[in-house]
Amino acid sequence: MNPIIQVKNFTKKYGDFVAVNNISFDVEEGSVFAFLGPNGAGKSTTINTLCTIFEKTSGTLLIDGKDVSRQKGEVRSAIGVVFQDSTLDAKMTIEENLKMHCVFYNIPNREVEERISFVLNLVDLTGERKKMVSALSGGMKRRVEIARGLIHYPKVLFLDEPTTGLDPQTRAHIWEYIMKLQKERNITIFLTTHYMEEAEICNKIAIMDGGEIVAHDTPYALKKKYTKDKAYINTKNEEALELLLSEHHLDYTKKDGYYKVEAEHLDRLLEVLSVHKEHITNIEIKKGTFNDVFLEITGKKIREEA
Amino acid sequence: MNTVFALWKRGLKAFVRNKTGLVFSLIFPFFFVYVFGAIFKNDFIENPIAYMLSGVIITTVFESALNLASSTVDDMVSGFMKEVLVSPAKRVYVALGQLLSAATVSTLQGILILVIGLFIGIKFTDWKTPFLVLVSMIFIGIVFSGVGLFLATKVRNGQTFQIVKTAVTMPLTFLSGAYIPISMLPGTLKFVAYFNPMTYATAFFRMIVLEKTGLPISDLIKEGLVVEINGFAITPFMTFAIILIIGLVFLLLSTISFVKTDFSRLNRSATDANALWG
Repeated sequence: MNPIIQVKNFTKKYGDFVAVNNISFDVEEGSVFAFLGPNGAGKSTTINTLCTIFEKTSGTLLIDGKDVSRQKGEVRSAIGVVFQDSTLDAKMTIEENLKMHCVFYNIPNREVEERISFVLNLVDLTGERKKMVSALSGGMKRRVEIARGLIHYPKVLFLDEPTTGLDPQTRAHIWEYIMKLQKERNITIFLTTHYMEEAEICNKIAIMDGGEIVAHDTPYALKKKYTKDKAYINTKNEEALELLLSEHHLDYTKKDGYYKVEAEHLDRLLEVLSVHKEHITNIEIKKGTFNDVFLEITGKKIREEA
Repeated sequence: MNTVFALWKRGLKAFVRNKTGLVFSLIFPFFFVYVFGAIFKNDFIENPIAYMLSGVIITTVFESALNLASSTVDDMVSGFMKEVLVSPAKRVYVALGQLLSAATVSTLQGILILVIGLFIGIKFTDWKTPFLVLVSMIFIGIVFSGVGLFLATKVRNGQTFQIVKTAVTMPLTFLSGAYIPISMLPGTLKFVAYFNPMTYATAFFRMIVLEKTGLPISDLIKEGLVVEINGFAITPFMTFAIILIIGLVFLLLSTISFVKTDFSRLNRSATDANALWG
């Protein structure tokens, strides 16, 4: 696999304050990469530097082999950016916004029409083409921005919280577009999100905290490493159950009449319990979630959902 | 170059689409012509309406050009400038496009008032005058667009900017001789007026509209068409040179400042990256 984004020993300081402390990571071409972390973790600084907005203090940041501080023009042509806050021109129509973008990105005139049709079709906005941006809903604006971010056929698309503030249905749609893009055009997608269930769909996840990358792996590996499945058991015969659990070296805590057993693999627990079914009146199994991963690693809850 | 043209077109479109703004931009000038024209009917000025109109036209060009500051600040607040920032478009071209569109819009507004003015008091006897008037409007439009763009790049807070802008432009227009002849101002204000770039723009433009370019300097002083500082008259040529220098300085400053400005910074602290990305 070919790394399209390469970050090596990247450090960013604001005066004495170290926002990002010597981080290194790669993103593979064609993958969906999620960047997570509590506010102030340094992820914004990292993305802004990758997008050529901020200057690094030290280190090397390459996108498609181009240096983000020395080859700004090339890097800017190679990336598409969708900011969390709208950067559309509200006083213009969707079409005018897209055309303006084509001018900024030096798209040949003869290709503009075809590209506009293509990206609008991709985000289901073909019929809305002549509408003023100010008249669009939040979800539609986000779709226009995604379309606009793609019109110059970037190699990497940066999405900053692409679904924040959108209703669940629109969120699902946006994700559909993102996945479609990755499959059809092999675009690398670099995103930040506060929705843990969204992070799980990605190929790779990096979690930042205190200016450092504290975890970087596939969602599956992270979950396996940082979470435990839990079983909540109800019983008529407490003594028997307690005896059974300690016999098999299964630690438990008792709360509100429930026995809580945590285990990396619940298979063994279920095997044990199935032999003594008569003790059990109710059993509820909870799989480890990505929220647990996040909590375990950063010790902080991800920002309260808006 | 495409960037320059696209932004120029964008500015014109926004101007044409803003019908309410257009109507109001026409109401105020004529209100001023009516009020001040009635107040300053004196012996020095042979055609008070034309005198007032020329001042009002150039004030409109001036204010409209300075408005580039507001529209650029709007573009920063709305995020549009951030889109420019991450694009490969050359910032110099973006600055140029913004300057030219503001200069064009301000000239168009000046022409609108001039056309109405032709029916109520302005008369051209020389065929060259309309061209000279047009060229002067474009020239002054570009100069003050430069000032406007420069102001915009220095703005840190979009909300206080509007207040500051009014607080700056109001005195500048009133102390420029456009409405009230400089000679009628009290000593201190007169002194302030000498440092006001608008004073020179007004005198220069008025001289052209009233077709007094051929008049000897003593007559120009008498009619208040050149600036006179303690008995020293600034000739029309010197006036032109002063505007040109102010223009060049601000065009240069604004372009440099525009290229360097971090548009993502507005209303947010530069050290807090989270504010940019949420």
